[in-house]
Amino acid sequence: MPLGTLDRTPPPFFKQGPSALSKLMVFSALALFLMVADLRFRITQPIRAAVATVLYPVQWLALQPVRAAQYGGGYFTALSQARTSEEAARQKLATQSLRASQVEQLALENSRLRKLLDLRERAALTGQAAQVLYDAPDPYTRKVIIDKGLLQGVALGSPVVDESGVLGQVTRVHPLVSEVTLVIDRDLAIPVLNTRTGARSVAFGEPTTHGGGLELRFMGSNSDVQQGDLLTTSGVDGVYPPGLPVAKIDRIERRAESAFARIYCTPQAQVNAAVHVMVVKPWSGEKLPSATAEPVPVKKGAGK
Amino acid sequence: MIMPSGQQLLLPVNPVFIWTSLIAALLLDMLPLGRVPWMPDFLALVLVFWNIHQPQRVGIGLAFMFGLGMDVHQSALLGQHALAYTALSFFATMIHRRLLWFTVPSQALQILPLFVVAHGLEITIRMISGGVFPGWLLLLAPLAESLLWPVISVMLLAPQRRAPNPDQNRPL
Repeated sequence: MPLGTLDRTPPPFFKQGPSALSKLMVFSALALFLMVADLRFRITQPIRAAVATVLYPVQWLALQPVRAAQYGGGYFTALSQARTSEEAARQKLATQSLRASQVEQLALENSRLRKLLDLRERAALTGQAAQVLYDAPDPYTRKVIIDKGLLQGVALGSPVVDESGVLGQVTRVHPLVSEVTLVIDRDLAIPVLNTRTGARSVAFGEPTTHGGGLELRFMGSNSDVQQGDLLTTSGVDGVYPPGLPVAKIDRIERRAESAFARIYCTPQAQVNAAVHVMVVKPWSGEKLPSATAEPVPVKKGAGK
Repeated sequence: MIMPSGQQLLLPVNPVFIWTSLIAALLLDMLPLGRVPWMPDFLALVLVFWNIHQPQRVGIGLAFMFGLGMDVHQSALLGQHALAYTALSFFATMIHRRLLWFTVPSQALQILPLFVVAHGLEITIRMISGGVFPGWLLLLAPLAESLLWPVISVMLLAPQRRAPNPDQNRPL
């Protein structure tokens, strides 16, 4: 019976259950086991998926006030503002349609040239649109949660892009939602290509810089990089399709004491405000040459 | 009955109300407000509150389960919040007999080390497992939780402070 209440049930005198200390021991050990299993062996995905599915209604409910506020805000924006934004969207569409028609023609030309040169065909990109539900509140990593999951066919490791560049990669897939690690997370590395020089390198996430950025590591201090160079995916990894914009070089520090330059880049995708994203099917690289014929075993002693 | 003098005798607690308050705190924690390191953890606060006021009903096991839920929601390391809430709940159970003899502001002061330990546990685990230090604003979270203690004491004890014999003049 708690102190100072009119509770009429007397407290159990003998059956008090296990002591608090033993409970602490058991549950702490369980928590530690889960942490090690999660971090080292990565075998906790079924537990995560189950808990995420149970939590989904509560999450949905928690998202509603924010959705309502956004919707209400959109409802009350002035008509003139809506008109100007529509005008801008139309202009953008016009310029993009011109480009798109050029792309069609270039793609045709490219495929013909590839055929002519006996190169392999490039696989077409397929993807599905998704919406960012919320920024993961965990302050130690940079992740977002999107509203498509295993049931909608999201595959683990899929690249995620927004309208201006690569946003990140799907790192966990739950039945109804999935988790996307942003390019500015420290654990994410992305192979890039400098479009000006054609040099390939790897960009690592650098979340500690202001607003989050990327860092191009292991580039010699005499390497040819300039401020404003655009980095796109190189396509050598077999995950990201080639040619998607990733980042722009922002600042280069060349130091006398180090053989490497420190190169900071700003991501092209809106890592802090992305809403509508595209989940691209993991690109399995150029189609591997199929084994046309069984390798003929060399007969030993055939000349006898 | 042994109780601090001059205090109102409370009505028995309604278990439905305990669960409602816990779910409401979970909802508050799940509001998508972005990445705010100093945001007080409402669920931890409500768990500690019921641990101190109703240790027979809300214990360490429940705290562990809610911690797992928070881990999955935040997509943090699985078991991080579970461990923090378990420790929090254990220390709350340890001090629950002593704490209620103090006034509410001094209770808030005595609760502060518990939240500091819980947040310290989380940050230690994440630093060991290779996270990025989120900044010193994180230190404000236990302080904010401790400052919310008087508020939550009034809110969550309100149903138990109703009149035992409601009549026409005193409906609640």
